[in-house]
Amino acid sequence: MQKSVLKNHAKEGAIWGFIVLELIFFGIAGEYMSMTETAFLAPDNMILLLKQSAPLGIIALGMTIVMINGNIDLSVGATFALCAIVMLDSMTWPILAPLGDWAIPFAWGLALLTGMLMGLINGLIVWKTGVDAFIVTLGAMLGFRGLVFMYNGEQPTFHLNWTMVDIAESAPLGIPLPILVFAVCIAVVWWIMNRTVHGRNAYAIGDNREAAVNAGIKVGPHMVWNYVLIGFLAALSSITFYSESGSVNPNDGMLYELWIITAVVLGGTKLTGGRGSIIATVGGILAIQLMRKGLGFIGADTAMVNLVIGSILIAVLYLDRQLNRKGEEELKI
Amino acid sequence: MKISFRASMAVTTAIAGAAIAGAAAADTYKIGITQNNVGVDSYQTTYEKAFIAAAGENDNVEAVVLDAGGDVARQIAQMEDLIQQEVDAIIIWPTNGKAVIPAVRKAYQADIPVIVTNSNIDEQGFDFVASFSGPDNITQGSRSAEIMCDKFKEMGIEDEAQIVQISGQPGYTTAIERAKGFEDRLPEVCPDVNLVETQPGDWNREKSQKVMEAFLVKYDDIDGVYAGDDNMGVGALNAAKAAGRDGIIFVGATNFAVGYEAMGRGEYWGSIYQSPVDDAEAALKTALDILNGEDVPFLNYFDTPKITQDNMDEFSKPVF
Repeated sequence: MQKSVLKNHAKEGAIWGFIVLELIFFGIAGEYMSMTETAFLAPDNMILLLKQSAPLGIIALGMTIVMINGNIDLSVGATFALCAIVMLDSMTWPILAPLGDWAIPFAWGLALLTGMLMGLINGLIVWKTGVDAFIVTLGAMLGFRGLVFMYNGEQPTFHLNWTMVDIAESAPLGIPLPILVFAVCIAVVWWIMNRTVHGRNAYAIGDNREAAVNAGIKVGPHMVWNYVLIGFLAALSSITFYSESGSVNPNDGMLYELWIITAVVLGGTKLTGGRGSIIATVGGILAIQLMRKGLGFIGADTAMVNLVIGSILIAVLYLDRQLNRKGEEELKI
Repeated sequence: MKISFRASMAVTTAIAGAAIAGAAAADTYKIGITQNNVGVDSYQTTYEKAFIAAAGENDNVEAVVLDAGGDVARQIAQMEDLIQQEVDAIIIWPTNGKAVIPAVRKAYQADIPVIVTNSNIDEQGFDFVASFSGPDNITQGSRSAEIMCDKFKEMGIEDEAQIVQISGQPGYTTAIERAKGFEDRLPEVCPDVNLVETQPGDWNREKSQKVMEAFLVKYDDIDGVYAGDDNMGVGALNAAKAAGRDGIIFVGATNFAVGYEAMGRGEYWGSIYQSPVDDAEAALKTALDILNGEDVPFLNYFDTPKITQDNMDEFSKPVF
């Protein structure tokens, strides 16, 4: 008993150990291989790292819950782009345009509603049809992306509002706003998963859906809520990012779902559901972002970065499998 | 000098890297570049190689060479990284002429001069840009008009020639500027040449071929075709060959390898030679001139010469 608790701690801590390794490696390698005199571990650079982790990280929190449920959501990248289009375009609509800068909160609200609606559609289809979430959200990924292209063809959607850019670039207490948004999201989602019935049910459903149904958990509506939540978070992520850039390409957010799932899996959440942790997912996101940024810092190109992260993902899953198998064998003895 | 170390050089080069880093002089300029999408076509790949080579030859330059991989978010992050690393100047090849404006403003606010290369950002961002280094598309259009006119004079048909134009994708600045340059210059040099119709070919060879097929049906007498780039020009040439119509003078812009080969076969008359090497070197030179406090025009064009069957030997075959 004592041993297994220890091992669980070791597993949850593994991702943080990995992050420390990365920091040490890039800290040292950066000294020798980087083009700049500024250190990789400089506080400014670390703040930038957190800021650049925020867009993927916010969505990854929702993905963790959905995956603990034993589901998945492949449509978040398309939702991300769609919400950005709604946000930027709505500011030019005749209703909102006369409001000037006051259009900003309404545009944000519309984007959030869009995200939640997309999540609701996913959730209802998963619930009512019983089709596997992978297939449903694969369809949604294509469908939502279709909506994105229908909106403005191949052209980027553009609306530059300097007030909105200034808000997005602001840094209350010296911390960039996207980091604060990310931090609040972490706190809220952590609270849901660890301190509420909803959170406990999420684990129960992912662990054994039959048993959860027998225990009287309303599995269908529960999943719908989780899809609405991830839709909301995708929209929030879109808002924090596009308020700053003011322009969205129809291809934006492509492959985001895969980066996010990679981070969640790196954090130790099981694809089959029932196990996972919000804090470990944050670790997974930071690990990936560190890898991207660190390799860039020492001069690796984009293709190299992808290759390394892919290899690490497979290595981590293999290690995890080995650890689990050993655990089961020990139990038999 | 120090240039970007590729990861493929592996960790073993760390020691060599340290030696080079130690040797760097104090008064060198650190110039960061974030490119659009290296590897997506050979123009951009050649551009990167040429940039690294040019930076390597200059002892006063340390280049931080980054590639956004066509991803706007990554390019914005790279801009932030370069600002944080306190480079002396940033060169940006925009992935999106609009989305990068706030990032360019950030560099401007950090007192880092930004040089836009190859294709310009949206006008709203001009206040934050030190200079644009790239091809002058209006001049390219007018030079194409001159190439065509000179050929007609040589053939003695400058008083009666009928021509058609296949333009680039509607809404693209490059397409609009080339068409304008051509249409403005042609009446000046060959007032009697008649431009009978213009249709967009969307930078696409197949689309251009279809447009040309329609022209050939519609007009019995076509003496010349001006295409917004060689890709479309070769599409039009293919349509003419399929229809058995000989003697048409094809003039394009941005000399592609296919255009160069067609010129070699004597089927395609001329184009505008735009070299990615010149493009890259011009961007670096613009950045250095600005850092040295020299007066640099806001629109700092590099030369894109005429190329025809007569002088094509002076140019190497384009890599794209």
